[in-house]
Amino acid sequence: MPGRTRHLPERKTMDLLERTYVREMVRGIRLIGGRWARNLISPRDTEHEILDRKGPSEVTTIDYPDERAPISSDYRGMHRLTFREDGRPRCVACFMCSTACPANCISIEAGEYEDDPIEKFPVLFEIDELKCIVCGFCVEACPKDAIRMDTRWSSRPTLDRGTAIWSKEQLIENSRPIGPTIPEGLDGSSRLESREHERLEMKRKERAPGSEEKLEERLGPDRRR
Amino acid sequence: MAAVNPPASEIGGLQEETLQSRRAVGGEGSGRRSRLSPLRLARAVVLVGVVFGAAAGLILTIVFGLAHLLGIGGTEWVGLLNIVGVAFILVMMTATLLIVAERKWSARMQNRVGPSRARLFRNEKWAFYGIPHLAADGLKMIFKEDFVPPGAARLVFSLAPVLAFVPAFALIAVVPVGPDIMAFGTEVRFQVARIDMGILFIFAVASVAVFGATLAGWSANNNFGMLGALRAAAQMISYEVALALTLVGVIIVFQTIRLEEIAAFQDGTMWGGLIPAWGIFFQPFALILFLAAAFAEVKRAPFDLPEAESEIIGYFVEYSGMKFGLFMFAEFIEIVALSALIVVLFFGGWSIPWVSHEALQSWLAIDVGLGTDWAALAAAFVGLFAFIAKMMFFVWLQMVIRWSFPRFRYDQIMNLGWKALLPLSLVNLVVTAAAVVLDPTLSLALAIGLGQAFLLIVVIISADSPKRGMMAAAQHDHPQEVSCST
Ligand code: SF4
Ligand code: SF4
Repeated sequence: MPGRTRHLPERKTMDLLERTYVREMVRGIRLIGGRWARNLISPRDTEHEILDRKGPSEVTTIDYPDERAPISSDYRGMHRLTFREDGRPRCVACFMCSTACPANCISIEAGEYEDDPIEKFPVLFEIDELKCIVCGFCVEACPKDAIRMDTRWSSRPTLDRGTAIWSKEQLIENSRPIGPTIPEGLDGSSRLESREHERLEMKRKERAPGSEEKLEERLGPDRRR
Repeated sequence: MAAVNPPASEIGGLQEETLQSRRAVGGEGSGRRSRLSPLRLARAVVLVGVVFGAAAGLILTIVFGLAHLLGIGGTEWVGLLNIVGVAFILVMMTATLLIVAERKWSARMQNRVGPSRARLFRNEKWAFYGIPHLAADGLKMIFKEDFVPPGAARLVFSLAPVLAFVPAFALIAVVPVGPDIMAFGTEVRFQVARIDMGILFIFAVASVAVFGATLAGWSANNNFGMLGALRAAAQMISYEVALALTLVGVIIVFQTIRLEEIAAFQDGTMWGGLIPAWGIFFQPFALILFLAAAFAEVKRAPFDLPEAESEIIGYFVEYSGMKFGLFMFAEFIEIVALSALIVVLFFGGWSIPWVSHEALQSWLAIDVGLGTDWAALAAAFVGLFAFIAKMMFFVWLQMVIRWSFPRFRYDQIMNLGWKALLPLSLVNLVVTAAAVVLDPTLSLALAIGLGQAFLLIVVIISADSPKRGMMAAAQHDHPQEVSCST
């Protein structure tokens, strides 16, 4: 086809010296061996997060789970239900989230307040974290900012399927600063994660006073009771 | 439905900060990293020295101490002690540690942390450079199912790992790792078997290793295993020719095939004490040819075509558990044995440059005042230490080479073996033979060797610094990426 021929970049032929491979080998050994020595001898800087690390060691991975990478604040993690000043959930059982949910994993049962003829509340609000595909649609759908996924915990492994269904109480508990309700038999991992979360939170405060305000804005006042 | 992704203004503080620091890194380039501290370097060198010294001391204690206690000095029973001291302590231990080193060092070379999860105690700080992974690995392999694929030739299938393992291990038998000593009326040597065959034994045993790989692939009733077996057979037999021919030059120079005599010869000097009589100074070219051929024999990258885990899984594809472990272990033992061989043939064995064993011994006995017996022991210790240090350097070099170079293509391997290594080693053989015939004092051979070494050094020095060269090239194409990835 005229005019449509693509020219490949010209191939450089290797000269004799390069084809003997000796010099190339020495170059490679110098590079890799140097990196080996540098990384083997020098300790890793574990005080800072990866990109801020200093020191001669060029190791850029972390020793998970002793160290953890920071989780970005728009990370979609475990759900939580926010609550009002008086402790009632903000949710008005409008079913928007369960309608939006593509995985059909939110089950809500609405109830009515005795003193309030207009507003409803969820008698039952369950999320099956095994079905959830962590799409975040429920958060976007909610008109009352009642459901969020900003806990920065992932749903934790469970020993049976029942434990992976999170009740309303557990989801509300997720909104408290201490950490989530610990599913039975799995306390170790949960505590580790919530401790890690607190540690990160504190580091963030220390390091970036400016960004902390933004974080607060995002998390809402009910996060810190 | 609202947009799923939050707008940029909503991206939390942390994210923003991460981006900022990324930019900062890009701006500063590699200057962000401080230089290696000399103190740490010195500490590492001292640590390595202590470990080598401990190993040398252990071998000395086992071989000499037991020989002295049992009163078997000077007899063939010393060979048995050497099986414990040299074969088990030195070779086995090194090979075992290499299993961890392979993974930990490759991690370091690739800027990773590497295995650190297996720990002796629940103390989070003590990962011991991943060494507890040895135990974890061993346990894992022992408890894996010992699987024999249907249709496999059962007897051969079970025999193949042994056939791969034993020759690798037997290689070390003729290698002298230390000088012969005579102290407190006990005479010992640091060599398992003192046989007339010497290098020929090594050729013979190394060619048996082909059977292990080939039979493993053939007996497994697996197409990929068969492919690996064919590759192994073709590659190892091709390179055996070059391997043997490169060493003929060395044999001509030293005029013996007994390794202990070769090592003892290299203890001396040439040209009136100017140059140590090491093999590398006579045959630098042969060393490079030998390295290439030997790496191909060991079947490790860049010659790991029989394994080639990314294309065929290799001749041991059907093996599981400890049978696979034997193949893996054989590979590491081959590395150690090969390094020991290189040291004995080209780098003076246990000798230290310019100082002969006798001179060292008399200096220790008279000037330092140790007395003859202790001086002999101390000199033996120095020799063992020198051997271990040199050997570990080549072990390290093989590791770095394995993690630096891409695998060759099959036709490249065959071309290299038959069209490059074979003719070049023949040329080397002819030149060496002519030089030795013309000048039996070896001066001409040494001059030719030094000329080759000079050429090689010029070639090597003409390489610019690898980092700068690559950085400049990459910077030219993608300035942004380079600054981020440093
Ligand atoms: S994140 Fe997606 S899948 Fe999970 S509950 Fe919300 S809408 Fe359903
Ligand atoms: S969480 Fe929000 S969307 Fe879901 S029912 Fe409650 S108020 Fe409605």
